Amino acid sequence: MDQVGSNIIHHVSNSDIAHPIIHLPSIFGVNFSVTKHVLMLWIVAVLLSVVIIVPVRTYLTGSRSVPRGWMNAIEAIVQFIRDSVVRPNVGPKWVMTWTPLILTFFFFILFANGIGMIPIFDILGAFNRFVLDVPAADSHNVINGMLHGGVTATGNFNVTGALAMITFFSIITAGTKAHGFINHWKNLAPHGLAWPVYIILIPIEIIGLLVKPFALTMRLAANMTGGHIALLALLSLMAIFGEMFHSAIAGIGVAFISVPMAVAISGLEIIVILVQAYVFTLLTSVFMGMAINVHH
Amino acid sequence: MEATALVPLGMGLIVVGAGLGIGRFAAAAAESIARQPEAADKITGAVNLPLFLLEGVAILAEVFTFLMLIL
Repeated sequence: MDQVGSNIIHHVSNSDIAHPIIHLPSIFGVNFSVTKHVLMLWIVAVLLSVVIIVPVRTYLTGSRSVPRGWMNAIEAIVQFIRDSVVRPNVGPKWVMTWTPLILTFFFFILFANGIGMIPIFDILGAFNRFVLDVPAADSHNVINGMLHGGVTATGNFNVTGALAMITFFSIITAGTKAHGFINHWKNLAPHGLAWPVYIILIPIEIIGLLVKPFALTMRLAANMTGGHIALLALLSLMAIFGEMFHSAIAGIGVAFISVPMAVAISGLEIIVILVQAYVFTLLTSVFMGMAINVHH
Repeated sequence: MEATALVPLGMGLIVVGAGLGIGRFAAAAAESIARQPEAADKITGAVNLPLFLLEGVAILAEVFTFLMLIL
């Protein structure tokens, strides 16, 4: 029963930097070794280029003007993001400037979230253990080395923090492009108030500037981690009950309740995946719109 | 009593607060859509953003309670 908590944490956190999947040398004191989440980021990047960039490029360079098959789906998503996320917030003048960034965010977060729900490495591990008969203790086996850590790259606060940093700088860039560098910073606080108000207002605005990306970081990573913890906690009930009553029957009995509930939570997770990708893009465009369309 | 024994209680309070807030949002949105079904799109759009901000606050509080529990 003591192992349940550490097992859950092990399944949602990154693998240990001391035992990376691929060893790389340190550059400027930063360890560039590939851990599980970095590997997942690479997989997501490759998948995105194959599934999104290649069809779009072939469509754009080809002679067919009517999209076909998978391209229809991409076009529907692109149009939805452009017309009901970016345009109402950023405004008609800047919509084509910022739609590419927002779309990149959307597809990247959607794919990274979605891959987290697919147990690729667990199936590979089971295949490795039971078909190829590789013992779990064999640490030189490639697949055994990949089993440590969770697969949701967006469940890592560093990844979402990096994404939120892009948002932070794109807010500043959006304001600078629309109003000029000095005016963007002037626009943060309303004009023409009595001077004592500014003593309170300017610190609040500076805090607000930093809280926006921080909240984005926490929201995405905590949502992804939280869902997986709930799933694993429900599945761990089998082990907990089996050990509590010292019988396998109790564990199997609980399975009839906890497995359907885990399936239901998985269904909920699929909604959360879509909603979180949407929320991140929506909030990014809202914040950029606040920098562009200043109305006070 | 240890200080960390109160952390689950705080988690429950977060859930109560966030639930109340989201419930009020949903109720208000449903009422106004029932009163004016043709404005459903605009109402959903207006409700979405504060809903996500509220959710963000709740998630932040949960992360902090979790950190309190493990640190």
